[in-house]
Amino acid sequence: MKMETRKMKVTVARFNPAMDSSPHYQTYEVPLEPRMTVMDVLDYIYENLDPSIAYYSHASCHRRVCARCNVTVNGKAGLSCHTEVTGDITIDPLPRLKVIRDLVVEGL
Amino acid sequence: MYSSTTHPTGVAGLSAQEAVDVLVIGSGGAGLRAAIEAHDQGASTLLLSNGAVGKSGATMIAGADITLDGDGAAKIGLAGNESDSKESFFHDIIIQGYYLNNQKLVEAYVRDAPVRTKEMIDWGMKYLWDGKRAILTEGTELNSVLFEQVKKRGITIKNDLYVTDLLTQGKSAVGVVGLDINSGMLQTTRAKAVVIATGGWQRAYSFTSAPGGLTGALHAAAYRAGADLLNMEMVTFCPNVVLWPPALRGDIFPYILIEMFGDLLEKHGRPFLRDEYDPSIYRIASTTEWNKLIFSLAATKVVLRGDGSPRGGTYYSIKNVPLNIVEEAEKIYPGWKWLRTDFSNLMDWLKEGNAVEVAPAAHYMEGGIMVDESASTTLKGLYAAGECSGGLFGANRVASAITQILVQGAIAGKSATDYSKRAKVQELEKRQLKRIESHLTKPLTRQGSIRAVDLKKKVRRIADENLWVIRNGAGLKKAIAELESIIANEVPRISIQTQARAYNKEWIDAIEVESLTQILLASARSALFRTESRGVHNRSDYPHTDNGRWLREVVVRQVNGKMSLSTRPITITKFKPPRVRFGFEEGIIRAVKELGE
Repeated sequence: MKMETRKMKVTVARFNPAMDSSPHYQTYEVPLEPRMTVMDVLDYIYENLDPSIAYYSHASCHRRVCARCNVTVNGKAGLSCHTEVTGDITIDPLPRLKVIRDLVVEGL
Repeated sequence: MYSSTTHPTGVAGLSAQEAVDVLVIGSGGAGLRAAIEAHDQGASTLLLSNGAVGKSGATMIAGADITLDGDGAAKIGLAGNESDSKESFFHDIIIQGYYLNNQKLVEAYVRDAPVRTKEMIDWGMKYLWDGKRAILTEGTELNSVLFEQVKKRGITIKNDLYVTDLLTQGKSAVGVVGLDINSGMLQTTRAKAVVIATGGWQRAYSFTSAPGGLTGALHAAAYRAGADLLNMEMVTFCPNVVLWPPALRGDIFPYILIEMFGDLLEKHGRPFLRDEYDPSIYRIASTTEWNKLIFSLAATKVVLRGDGSPRGGTYYSIKNVPLNIVEEAEKIYPGWKWLRTDFSNLMDWLKEGNAVEVAPAAHYMEGGIMVDESASTTLKGLYAAGECSGGLFGANRVASAITQILVQGAIAGKSATDYSKRAKVQELEKRQLKRIESHLTKPLTRQGSIRAVDLKKKVRRIADENLWVIRNGAGLKKAIAELESIIANEVPRISIQTQARAYNKEWIDAIEVESLTQILLASARSALFRTESRGVHNRSDYPHTDNGRWLREVVVRQVNGKMSLSTRPITITKFKPPRVRFGFEEGIIRAVKELGE
């Protein structure tokens, strides 16, 4: 008997300063795995749902040290490599920083 | 496409007519130290990072220690062991490296270790001295001390520039091309001399303790530009790295814990290390840094025979350790915190009697871009320092890679500066630029069916299955055929859907998968070529270490567009290795006797 995987709603702030006049939200459905991190969620979206999503990961340490993967999760700042997810979330870029695209900001 | 057709150098802070004397790629410890040296030797210096200087590279997440000989330590004012000597340290590094080390590189390492250490202490590095051969510090500390020195000197830095290619003229390096990740524009930079300091290529594997930036992009660029690669079959795995939960994945904390206490268990809860080896080997494994090699092999055997954990690892447990012993150890890591990571949850979980899933992780590359003792590669004007270079540690590293980055970084900075004083700024060849630009941008407009992220997974699976802790000829041949087919048939069909230029992750993946595939092919072919086991390179079909035939290094170079392999004899200065042949356990016992541990 296969357990039904629980899905969660992930709402991500999207913004391409070269094209858009203002940010907008986009919502994805992502299967919730035990103890998955925000980075895992973003990887899932990138790999399976929407390759255009921008979040800093290519040179991040994945170890809570570099802090370049910092985002806002449900209104609170947190490292995406280390913040665990238990249900629906909204992901914004860190506030007050210039957005390069989506969740990638200048000055981190 | 180049952001600055009117400004051929393209990099912020440099005008069109200027080129730098020394360009340093990579901003971990080796790159930082190379930039400091180049600046101090009088070179105009530019430091590039594919992330941000101070926030990328492997140094910041290192353990970390600096190793030097006890007498050298005494001479720089540490309460050292004067009966120790450079000669003895030199000897031990070669024994640990299974005789494969380039002895000229080892001589430079032991010679310069004390002066580089003293300098770090003078620059304010916080440390603990163990009284023998190790200075204990932290990666974040090393990183910030070096970065402070870079800032103090006003060295020009450029963040978020992913260097993809070296520009050459004749057989000399004359500049680089890179993708400015945030703008999505390609940039060229001219330089009289180029230093590569980009760490290893661990990200070719799915499971690694290394940070994201270590993709081997510059190994591949150096290879394509005509530089030789060396000993690419040599990969160290760190055992007992957290496999799950994801938030701690890749962390080496259980590896550090097992030096104090705890057991590795197979799926029935049985500790396997004691059964796997002769008791003397077990003692060595649990008390010396040979544990990386010995534990990784033992855990891999358990997984291969089907007795591993669901995610393909084994278990680490402290259930048999009395709680007061655990509490005693907590004094070393107060509150179970280490670096910026908090392990108290993990420790609570372990103290309740649970086990954490762990596995060997790709950890350190002994092989890399071939260098001599002046950090010169086989391409004029190109230098390499730190983990991206090959030869220093032979077939197994036990001594510190932090000492390596400090020593080799300084040497590379000096050599590059000396060369830049003789070299002229070269005009860039338009045809070469066009070819590179067209190659890099093709996936953006190509109508293809292959996604880089899928290909990356496929390539990593090939590495996980065939270039892991234990290798064999059949698996390596299969890996080579698959990788060659990917290079010929799939990489040229990668297509990118994302239209936005700024932080285009698909584009980064497309660039990375191509270099990863090239580097893995070099590694797989080297591993097949070396028909013996030596150090971290273990072949189940050739289980013996054969000094009669294989006191040779494996060299990979591009000849007429094709990958070509050859060997060269090891570089000997003072230590003539015995012409012996031995099995794995015998080799460990031999080595430990020689080391007097």
